[in-house]
Amino acid sequence: MKPMLSTELNTPEAVVDKAKIEVKNLNFYYGQSKALKDISLSLPERSVTAFIGPSGCGKSTLLRVFNRIYELYPKQSAEGQVLLDGHNILDRSQDLNLLRTKIGMVFQKPTPFPMSIYENIAFGVRLYEKISKSEMDGRVEQALKRAALWTEVKDKLNASGLSLSGGQQQRLCIARTVAVKPEVILLDEPASALDPLSTAKIEELIDELQADYTIVIVTHNMQQAARVSRQTAFMYLGELVEFDRTEKIFTSPREKRTQDYITGRFG
Amino acid sequence: MMTLCVVAAGIGLAWLALILGALVYKGLSGVSLAVFTEMTPPPGDAGGLLNAIYGSVVMTIIAVIVGTPIGVLAGTYMAEYGRFSKLTTIVRFINDILLSAPSIIIGLFVYELMVRPMGHFSAIAGAVALAILVIPVVVRTTEDMLNLVPNALREAGTAIGAPRWVVIKSVAYRAALSGIVTGILLAIARISGETAPLLFTALNNQFWSSNLNAPMASLPVTIFQFALSPYEEWQQLAWTGALIITLTVLGLSIFARSLTGRREDR
Amino acid sequence: MSAVQEALPAIKGSRDATVRRFALTDTIFHAATRAAAILVLVLLGGVAISLFAGSWQALSTFGFSFLTTESWNPVTEKFGALAPIYGTIITSAVAILIAVPLGIGIAIFLTELCPRPLRRPIGMAVELLAGIPSIIYGIWGLFVLAPFLQTTVQPYIIWLFHGVPGLNNLFAGPPYGIGLLTSAMILAIMILPFITSITKDVFDTVPSVLKESAYGIGCTTWEVTRRVVIPYTRIGIMGGVMLALGRALGETMAVTFVIGNAHRISTSLFAPATTISATIANEFTEAVGDLYTSSLVALGLILFVITFLILAIARYMLMRIDARTGA
Repeated sequence: MKPMLSTELNTPEAVVDKAKIEVKNLNFYYGQSKALKDISLSLPERSVTAFIGPSGCGKSTLLRVFNRIYELYPKQSAEGQVLLDGHNILDRSQDLNLLRTKIGMVFQKPTPFPMSIYENIAFGVRLYEKISKSEMDGRVEQALKRAALWTEVKDKLNASGLSLSGGQQQRLCIARTVAVKPEVILLDEPASALDPLSTAKIEELIDELQADYTIVIVTHNMQQAARVSRQTAFMYLGELVEFDRTEKIFTSPREKRTQDYITGRFG
Repeated sequence: MMTLCVVAAGIGLAWLALILGALVYKGLSGVSLAVFTEMTPPPGDAGGLLNAIYGSVVMTIIAVIVGTPIGVLAGTYMAEYGRFSKLTTIVRFINDILLSAPSIIIGLFVYELMVRPMGHFSAIAGAVALAILVIPVVVRTTEDMLNLVPNALREAGTAIGAPRWVVIKSVAYRAALSGIVTGILLAIARISGETAPLLFTALNNQFWSSNLNAPMASLPVTIFQFALSPYEEWQQLAWTGALIITLTVLGLSIFARSLTGRREDR
Repeated sequence: MSAVQEALPAIKGSRDATVRRFALTDTIFHAATRAAAILVLVLLGGVAISLFAGSWQALSTFGFSFLTTESWNPVTEKFGALAPIYGTIITSAVAILIAVPLGIGIAIFLTELCPRPLRRPIGMAVELLAGIPSIIYGIWGLFVLAPFLQTTVQPYIIWLFHGVPGLNNLFAGPPYGIGLLTSAMILAIMILPFITSITKDVFDTVPSVLKESAYGIGCTTWEVTRRVVIPYTRIGIMGGVMLALGRALGETMAVTFVIGNAHRISTSLFAPATTISATIANEFTEAVGDLYTSSLVALGLILFVITFLILAIARYMLMRIDARTGA
């Protein structure tokens, strides 16, 4: 039962993989004002998708719909459908906490919890899994290794997460997200607060993680999008202007607005 | 004109220094071991303040145990679950009024609420009156401190799949802990010198009493009674008691402030 | 389509149970915090209701004349609140007159003139003093200030203004030491740290750009303070003053020591008088008879209404300045 939506326009031809997330006719409102206008696109499994566009274009808003984090605030609402493996996550009966264990998120600024490095990671795991101390130790180590942080912190797991450098903190946040074994990882400008070296490390990490996870990254840095993503969506004023394979977007975009943006004529 | 400001500062600070000076001068001469080991004496006799100190400590502890959870919960509602609700705006306004409402009014309230129905004065009524003074202080600081916790931290906790109460308990409270403790200490500082709400709730007691259902002595009420008496021994004890209270309050405030001070440095 | 509409199924059964437990705990915790917040409202409502109920007997016996009668006679059971109301208003008003200029002066000193290294210690000292219990000020007033005023200041002032129309009534003898002026002075020193710290806080909200541009066109410190800082913070200062007034009106212990507890309206500031809170503190436990007690509670009700209004206005003003700096 493939829906007869106009997804052919919004699905990169080369991408034949199974869709992990399908967005159908999504509208989003901040109070009265409409921030996303009739967005439809589908994100393939186990690959990196980048959202780019000038600030205020709705790219972060779209990302925040995927784990419904916007529901922390009043007067924000989404209508339409967002399908995760075919199930509508915007459905009222969807348990939000469960949804968020499947769709993890890393934020712009590193947000380690005010607790030890070990606890930062164990915290999320412990919520839904009853596992022994040794199993937990394994999970923490595995997650830290996955985030390429293990060698740097293995001797100070009981130090405060806040004692790490900015880049390390961000990798801790990635480790924390990976530890709860999500299926999708949302990255909201994960490197914008970091120095170039840390940024390179994070990008390397994203590249490795896409073997196992579906990754969506919002970035204002076009080079970054070009480096890490397989497909790119360009958004402007709440609309999805163009969505295609990344090299297509950056070499021969279909739309003039895309062309203008990637060549730096606005935004 | 600016010279006048310097003069004002001089007058104000000198005046305050004068009060503290007199307090130390008069209070210190009466400090002895007996103050802490003997009961309040009958008129004309020597004695101590043991039962009054004990009563103050007991009622303060009960007040904090009763008032703190209520204050923390209410502050939590205002900063977390109800951050955007109308109820929060109203509660904040009313709480601010309660915060500076005359404490003697609280005394009258508890008199009508507990003493009159029970038919007698009691330590527990005094403790409830003090608890009502604790609540608005704790509500205010809890709300303020939780509001200082960055939303990004809440979002991060939520994004990992933690339900709201876990985010509050494990992330927000932890981040705001020193601030909330400061609020509680300031509340203790405030009630440890309160006299008016105890006058007709806990009343006073010349003797040792640990019965919560009976009148109980307290340091402030004892000071009030002794200072207005014509007996020199009593007046001396009043000064000494006043010094003890002042040092306690100042000590608590300084300690409380040092907690938040360190937090800011980090 | 129905399969599509369905919510995401849980991965494991155990997770399902955890999810339900979490939701339940969240509901309970939410309800508990909400109940505590509502309790704050209930407390203030309870205060109002219990005071009203307790004062009903007095109010129904004396009616409106309770507010306009000076006599307070426990023997004949004739009670009127005029003398305590008068004493409360006069002591608070005089205290404000003394404390506001001093407090604002100190705040200006701290924000504009004080050498930087001294700023924090002095500011800190002022805030600490705001927390000293009022009974301390009371005992100092009784044993130190009152005798001093009685023996030196008051006789001199009485002699000075003797025969000056108006002032000779305001400062009429004999010098008791205790009385309206002494109470007002004690109140003034009590609310001084309070006014200073609030004024200092609102002064700090003045954008430095504003001050710098005024200095830039050659204004002196005083001109900047008078033409920029004070106009900018007027509402905040007013709010702080009202807050201090609310505190002065309801202050009990500091006044009770030095007011003299005389139910009398006198034009002289040197005369013993009484205030609402001092009357309650002094007489409540000794009051014999329901009407006497009820009259005292009625005094409490009056004080509650007055301070509620003053504090509400104060909070409203301070909220306005908060809203501006928040924006």
